[in-house]
Amino acid sequence: MPLETFKSSQPLTLGVELELQLVNSYDMDLSSSANDLLELLQRKPFPGVVTPEMTQSMIEVATDVHTEHGPLLAQLQTMRDTLVRAGDRLNIEIAGGGTHPFQRWFEQRIFSKPRFEELSGLYGYLAKQFTVFGQHVHVGCASADDALFLLHALNRYVPHFIALSASSPFSQGVDTLFDSARLNSVFAFPLSGRAPFVLSWDEFAEVYFTKMESTGVVKSMKDFYWDIRPKPEYGTIELRVCDTPLTVERAAGLACYLQALCRHLLERSEPPPEEDDYLVYTYNRFQACRFGLEGQMVNPKTRERISIREDILATLRLLQPHALALNAHAAMDEIERTAGRDFNHASYLRRRYAETGSVQGVVRASVDALRRRPG
Amino acid sequence: MAWPLVLLFAWFLGERLHQIWRVPRVSSYVAVGLIASLANLPGLTSEVPGLPFLANIALSLLLFELGYRINLRWFRHNPWVLALGLVESVLTFALVYIASGWFALEADVRMIIAALSISSSPAAIVRVANELRSAGQVTERVMHLCAINCLLSVLALKLLVGYWTLSTSGDLIAATLGSVYALSTSIGMGVLAGVIVPWLLRRPNTHERGVAVVFALAVVLLTTMSHGLMLSPLLAALVFGIVARERRVHLTNAQRGFGTAGDLLTLFLFVYIASLLDWASVGSGLVLGLVLIAVRTASKVGCSVAAARLSGSTERKGLLTGLALTPMSAFAILLIEQTRIYGFAPAAEVLALMAGMMLVQELFGPVVSQRSLMAAHETHVTQADGQITRSAL
Repeated sequence: MPLETFKSSQPLTLGVELELQLVNSYDMDLSSSANDLLELLQRKPFPGVVTPEMTQSMIEVATDVHTEHGPLLAQLQTMRDTLVRAGDRLNIEIAGGGTHPFQRWFEQRIFSKPRFEELSGLYGYLAKQFTVFGQHVHVGCASADDALFLLHALNRYVPHFIALSASSPFSQGVDTLFDSARLNSVFAFPLSGRAPFVLSWDEFAEVYFTKMESTGVVKSMKDFYWDIRPKPEYGTIELRVCDTPLTVERAAGLACYLQALCRHLLERSEPPPEEDDYLVYTYNRFQACRFGLEGQMVNPKTRERISIREDILATLRLLQPHALALNAHAAMDEIERTAGRDFNHASYLRRRYAETGSVQGVVRASVDALRRRPG
Repeated sequence: MAWPLVLLFAWFLGERLHQIWRVPRVSSYVAVGLIASLANLPGLTSEVPGLPFLANIALSLLLFELGYRINLRWFRHNPWVLALGLVESVLTFALVYIASGWFALEADVRMIIAALSISSSPAAIVRVANELRSAGQVTERVMHLCAINCLLSVLALKLLVGYWTLSTSGDLIAATLGSVYALSTSIGMGVLAGVIVPWLLRRPNTHERGVAVVFALAVVLLTTMSHGLMLSPLLAALVFGIVARERRVHLTNAQRGFGTAGDLLTLFLFVYIASLLDWASVGSGLVLGLVLIAVRTASKVGCSVAAARLSGSTERKGLLTGLALTPMSAFAILLIEQTRIYGFAPAAEVLALMAGMMLVQELFGPVVSQRSLMAAHETHVTQADGQITRSAL
């Protein structure tokens, strides 16, 4: 089946998807309660879209299409409040965070057994790391070629999003020393990583995708686990590197930082993307995963080394006019506070671990953070 | 010699039957206990000193664990669950009292039977739920309702004992001592332990296993003190668990059921409970037992179904919740046994009368609970101990 045509959409529109954890309230382990929660939620109209995921201890929510930070944040907050209230009625806690700090995967109930058995049969212990929780941001693109341009122009900024959103320092009960342990799980999959360097949609669809399809390795775009991938049926590109942050405020901030960045890139004032940009890509990505905002990244054009924090703060200054045009000042403030003062949620969780001395305390902190913003 | 051998046999049978037909392990333990009591093995009587105490500790640990799973905040967010528990308990009491009137029984005996019928067996329910690693609305509700049932059952029984003491001896002090004092002190001790122990553990460097050990020892201490002061160890342990949880010291999931020691004590508890039943009285009480089981189950299922949608669940899950509350014996037997030891004369008669009911409930109750949780799809797709199926390779 050939790749479907890329549907044009209004440029710079935003949609956010969040994968959230369902946690029991007594020992903070993941709780296989998605069915119960969805059953209760469907009795009233939900302010957005809520869907089941592969495991019963995860649900995914998605916003409508937005153009500005204010309404996007408002919808995310309404969705959060609806979810938290439903959870309270059923004694289920809801939390953000890229990983559950101590869940044992084989104890999680799986939504569709055949699909899961297929996956665990194929991936072995990698499937065990499948229970991770990410934020996906869609950005609307006027044309397919714009989409591919943005996808590759963004490569240099991918570490920003990893470092800013990182909220998965703990996995299987231990501090992994990574700020985003979740991405390590994603990277292990064969078709993860970067998209091939192709800037024309015709070439992408007719040459690359057709060849890949003929190998039998992929059937649709869904089989690619790329960091950024085009979504032809929506007319968007989808950034997939973010951990689900602990708060919806951070999630909205990240989405609008991406929006402003895309607006800047579409002015095409920066040198165009090229294959050699990817020489430093995996190195930068590792630095962001491992050290978060403290990581050192190499600028692919200038080959200069700079801390990710500094690079974000410099980029924010560059984006000021775009933030103004997009009404995104509150979002830029959120990102600036994160990069400059409050640090990412991985550090927040490590501080809570130091205070409480238990991974359960970490989950408790995540649960509380989603209800109200942490300090 | 008899005891350890019987326990060993019960353990092997439990594992085997669980493997073959997924029979809940506790049902196998009960079966072995019943056979042992039929065979009247030497040493297998309640007269061996220390055994009732050990059984109380075993049940208290399970009650603590149940209490620890109770989220008081949930009752605030969803008052229907609390209302369901209270209404269902009162209704069960009333219906069982009325139904037992069809048999030639005295009013005070009927009231005691009714009070005991409120309770559900935390031992069977907690063990079955842990065995299945179940999670979901049925599981949550069964736990919370079971705790409410147990609290109200103890409350009702203690008040009846007080009333009985007053009416037989006219001794107001003894009556108050037997009920109000016992109730308030048991609860008070549970609360005190629930505040002090988490406070002691509130150090970041307390090892996770240490937490479980300290909680277990605190339960043992509570049980010992309750025996000394003629209080209710079961009530104290349940309250301890509820209060301790509110203090937010976390038990890890590896500590569920207090590990190996917990398994051992549970095994003993169920064999012991079953061996307490007197076969001679089982036959005569069987009809009464079956009628009471029918009435009790109808009440629990009816209330649970009626409140299901209001409380945010479905009728189907409501039905399964009601059914999962079927087991009642371990708690009821130990409770009435305790009252007998404290000098409540009608206790022995009630125990004999209810033998038939207890027998059926003990053997089949856990199976009903297990099948209900399975039907609710709240159990986990676990290939034995985490082995992954290789079908797709």
